[in-house]
Amino acid sequence: MEFFKKTLDPVIALIAIAVLDVFLFMVVGAWTVGGGETMMTGLIAKGILGHGIERLPFWRLVYVPSFLYWKIYISLGMFTGALIGAVLSKEFYIRYPRRVSEWAMITVGGLLMGIGIRLSFVCNVSTFFGLTPEMNLGGYLAVSGILAGAWFGSMIYKKVLGI
Amino acid sequence: MSVVGQCIASFIFGTVAGLLVQRSRFCNTAALRDAILFKTYRNTKALLVAMMILTVGFTVFISVGQGHPMYFDVGLNTFAGLFLFGIGMVLAGACTVSTWVKTGEGNIGALWALLFTFVGMFLFSLVWSADYGPPPPASMTGHPDLASLQLGFANAATLQKTFGIPAVVFGLVQAAVLFAIYRAILRRERRVAQPARAEAASALAPLVKAAE
Repeated sequence: MEFFKKTLDPVIALIAIAVLDVFLFMVVGAWTVGGGETMMTGLIAKGILGHGIERLPFWRLVYVPSFLYWKIYISLGMFTGALIGAVLSKEFYIRYPRRVSEWAMITVGGLLMGIGIRLSFVCNVSTFFGLTPEMNLGGYLAVSGILAGAWFGSMIYKKVLGI
Repeated sequence: MSVVGQCIASFIFGTVAGLLVQRSRFCNTAALRDAILFKTYRNTKALLVAMMILTVGFTVFISVGQGHPMYFDVGLNTFAGLFLFGIGMVLAGACTVSTWVKTGEGNIGALWALLFTFVGMFLFSLVWSADYGPPPPASMTGHPDLASLQLGFANAATLQKTFGIPAVVFGLVQAAVLFAIYRAILRRERRVAQPARAEAASALAPLVKAAE
C-alpha cells in the first residue's frame, strides 16, 4: 500500500488529527498525554509500593491510581498505532543511542519533562492541541513557557553538539 | 458516555494519531527546535494548521455549550513547568507524543526518556506531597489568588459570558493570528529559497546554453 511506502506530508497528517481531536473533544476532552502518563506513574508506583503510596497525599488528592482513566488509553493507542505503522512500512528496528552523552541528555530531558508536566498540570500536547485552541489563559502561559524553554534548551543543545 | 466507552474512544483516537504521526514523522519538539536552531519549518507549519482548525472547531462547539474543555486554575506554575518541559524535550529529542511513537518504532532512547518522565513525575509527587502546591483540583476556585501565584480560570467560554459575544468570534480572531504567523513563515521560506534558486539557475545557465 502506498501509505506505508512514502512519508506522509505532516500538514495532511495534522489536519486529520485535528478533525479527530474535535470529535474527541465532543466525546471526552481534547488530546492530552501528561495526565495519562501521571496515572501510569501512579499505577506503577502502586504496583511497587503497594498501599504505601497512600501515605503520599498527591496520590490521594490529585491522582488516585485507576485503570479506568481515558487518558491512559490515548498513550497506549499512540504506541500501538506507531508500532503498526512502523512494522507495515518495514521501519521497525531496535535502535539505541551510541554515546554516553546522548544517554545523559535523554535522562535529564526525561526528568525535566516529567517534573515540568506535574508542576504545570499540562503537557505540550494539551498546550498546543487543547488549551490554546480552547483559548484558555493557561494555553498562552504554557506556549510562552515552552517557547522560552525550547530556546534555552536549543542553546544547551548547540553547546553540547558544538554547532 | 460510559467510562469504558471513553477509554475505547481514546484508544481509537490514539491509535490513528500514532499511525499518522509515525507515517508523517511529525514531531512537536522538532516543530519548535528546528525553527529555533535550523530555521526550517516543516513541522511548525503542520502544527500551526492543526491549531487553526482546532481553534475554530473548539470555539464553535464552546459557543453552543458543547464539548469538554479543560477546567483547572492556571498560574505562574504553568509557565515555569512548561519552561522546564521545553528544555527537557529538546535535550531528550522527543516530546510526550514522540516518546510513545518512537518507542513503537523500536527506539530504546525514547523508551528511556519515557521511563525518566515517569521518574520525574514521581519525584514531583513527593515534592507536592510536602507543600501541596500548585493547588489540587478540589481546592481550585477559578479566581486569581496572587499569594499563591494563581491566575484563576479563563477560556473561550468565560470570554463569551463576560462580553456576550459568541466564543467563535474570539476563535476566528485567534485563527487569523495563527494564519498570519503561518503566512510569515511561508514568506520567509520563499525569501530563503529565491537566492538559492537564482544561484542554481546561474550555475546551470552555461550547461543549458551548451545543450542548446
